[in-house]
Amino acid sequence: MSKKEITIALAGNPNSGKTTVFNNLTGARQHVGNWPGVTVEKKEGTCNYKGRRIRVVDLPGVYSLTAYSLDEVIARDYVVDEKPDVVVDVVDASNLERNCYLTVQFLEMKAPLVIALNMMDVAESRGYQIDTEGLSNLLGSPVVPMIAAKNQGTDKLLETIISVAEGDIAVSGISIQYGHDVEAELAKMEEAVSGSPLAKGYSPRWLGIKLLEDDREIIEKIKKA
Amino acid sequence: MGSAEILQVKDTSLEHLRKVHGDDAETLIADARYGFISGLMRDVLRKPAVEKETATDKIDRIILNRWLGIPIFLLILYGVFQFTFVVSGPLINWINQGLDWLAAQVSGISPAWLSSLVSDGIIGGVGAVLSFVPVIFLLYIALSILEDTGYLSRAAFVMDRLMHRIGLHGRSFVTLMLGFGCTVPAVMSSRTIENPRDRLVTILVTPLMSCGAKLPVYALLAAAFFTAYQGLVVFSMYAIGVILAILLAWLFRKKLVSGESGHFVMELPPYRLPTVVTVLAHMWERGWAFLSRAGTLIFGAVVLIWMLNYFDVLEHIGRAVAPIFSTAGFGQWESAVALVFGVLAKEAVVGAFGTLLAGAGASGGIGNAIAAQLGWTPLVAFAFMTMILLYIPCVAALGTIKKETGSWKWTIFTISYTLVLGWVVATLIYQIGSLFF
Repeated sequence: MSKKEITIALAGNPNSGKTTVFNNLTGARQHVGNWPGVTVEKKEGTCNYKGRRIRVVDLPGVYSLTAYSLDEVIARDYVVDEKPDVVVDVVDASNLERNCYLTVQFLEMKAPLVIALNMMDVAESRGYQIDTEGLSNLLGSPVVPMIAAKNQGTDKLLETIISVAEGDIAVSGISIQYGHDVEAELAKMEEAVSGSPLAKGYSPRWLGIKLLEDDREIIEKIKKA
Repeated sequence: MGSAEILQVKDTSLEHLRKVHGDDAETLIADARYGFISGLMRDVLRKPAVEKETATDKIDRIILNRWLGIPIFLLILYGVFQFTFVVSGPLINWINQGLDWLAAQVSGISPAWLSSLVSDGIIGGVGAVLSFVPVIFLLYIALSILEDTGYLSRAAFVMDRLMHRIGLHGRSFVTLMLGFGCTVPAVMSSRTIENPRDRLVTILVTPLMSCGAKLPVYALLAAAFFTAYQGLVVFSMYAIGVILAILLAWLFRKKLVSGESGHFVMELPPYRLPTVVTVLAHMWERGWAFLSRAGTLIFGAVVLIWMLNYFDVLEHIGRAVAPIFSTAGFGQWESAVALVFGVLAKEAVVGAFGTLLAGAGASGGIGNAIAAQLGWTPLVAFAFMTMILLYIPCVAALGTIKKETGSWKWTIFTISYTLVLGWVVATLIYQIGSLFF
């Protein structure tokens, strides 16, 4: 299938080069607005590539997806509520381990993830060797090595985005195992929420995880549902 | 299952996990994620046995040194103001000469009221504010460089230990540092502070920082009253702001919103050489707000001041408010009017003096006019500068505070405590200073 417009959300840690990737993708076709209801800046841009129009929504730079900060809530609500065709997670290759904490949480949400493995040159200069294919297999998501500061890898990223959006590459994702005891409680939670109207928009497992994390936003939503 | 039952199941599960593991489920889940990632890293990432010491590491060994850190920070800050004032001096003179020329051109036009509006009001008021554009833009260049190189994060890191002692942490200090530019984005930046109490206290004290709009007032008075020590006097305003913000944060954290404060790792991004384009873009983003305000809000305020003055209304308002400030030495009605309009925007203080004082327009002579017509001494000027630093945030800042705290109560609290603080500090400076000078 071929869709005319593809919407992608651009996510990543602060200092991962997310803004540079955004600029590479959209050039001057950007505009700035506000996220609904809050005074947080929302940047959007568009990009035309191989006959497709790609709308790029820049999410706030965050390290995690808890309910503790407004930026994190905005980022995850956008992915859950607006269901972008692809979530591009910009990852700093020279800080892979720390950046993966956010990646893992997108995988928990079953987001259609493409990992933009940025700053490969910095990682290399420090003598890091990254098995990108292995990373892609273990995370069940495509990985695109990039050097955004030199505009390298942008085309490959766009190709991958289109393939994922149009179903040519399947994003299988992964499920993290939280250990025997947590999993047992998680199963109870999944069952408890399965009948709730909220389960239509959210995956029951993700709702379960958030409830076990005592996530105040999700608790509010459950109360209102 | 209904909402209440779902939450019941959740509470039972959490209770059970806490009993079995002695930890919150939140911690267990985070541990599982870290465990997964650390396994993943073992599979896909090879690091050299001995990590090379990067340039960033080498610089950080000095900049983050526990003894040198704070002195280096103060030195850099002082350097910023010296740079700003030394470079902007000649530029301001050129602008003033241009304004004099302009004033001379319009002095002959009739009717007389129009000539007065244009030369006293618009050129004297808006022009006076505009003549400080070089100071503002240079300050913003310096701030952009500090931010874009990664130094600002280091400053926050260096202050982190001190901030912990007052019950906050380094991330609050980043917000305070951004307050040197403008309170509006600074207050917004407090969203990165996860703990709601820490966030609230940070928002409450951010207006005490010296923002870009207060700088024209300092620059004007420092040039007129402290010729030889301009940089030092202006630096002292910034220092007083930081010190009072930290002291009050400590007080608020203890008395108003006590409770545990959040913990997290301070980010130290690698040093980057900022490109000229980024620095200029950041400077323009911030500076444009100043320019466009001069054309809209300040212009409107100045015309209003001129009109009210022309019809002799302003003096009555000023005289009603002025006695409050006589304890601090600036109890003249003109000063009171300037302070009232300063709530619209702090630059309007300069505009108000420019419009109200006779002959102020000539050669940037506002400072001299203040000394001659209001009888200020350097001590009064200094007390007034601290008042400008501390008293009521401008309307734009108040709007942001209301939005970000979501509470009128805290907004009104900010207005009241800053006004009282400004008055008390200015009065103390004037009264104690009068014993010596």
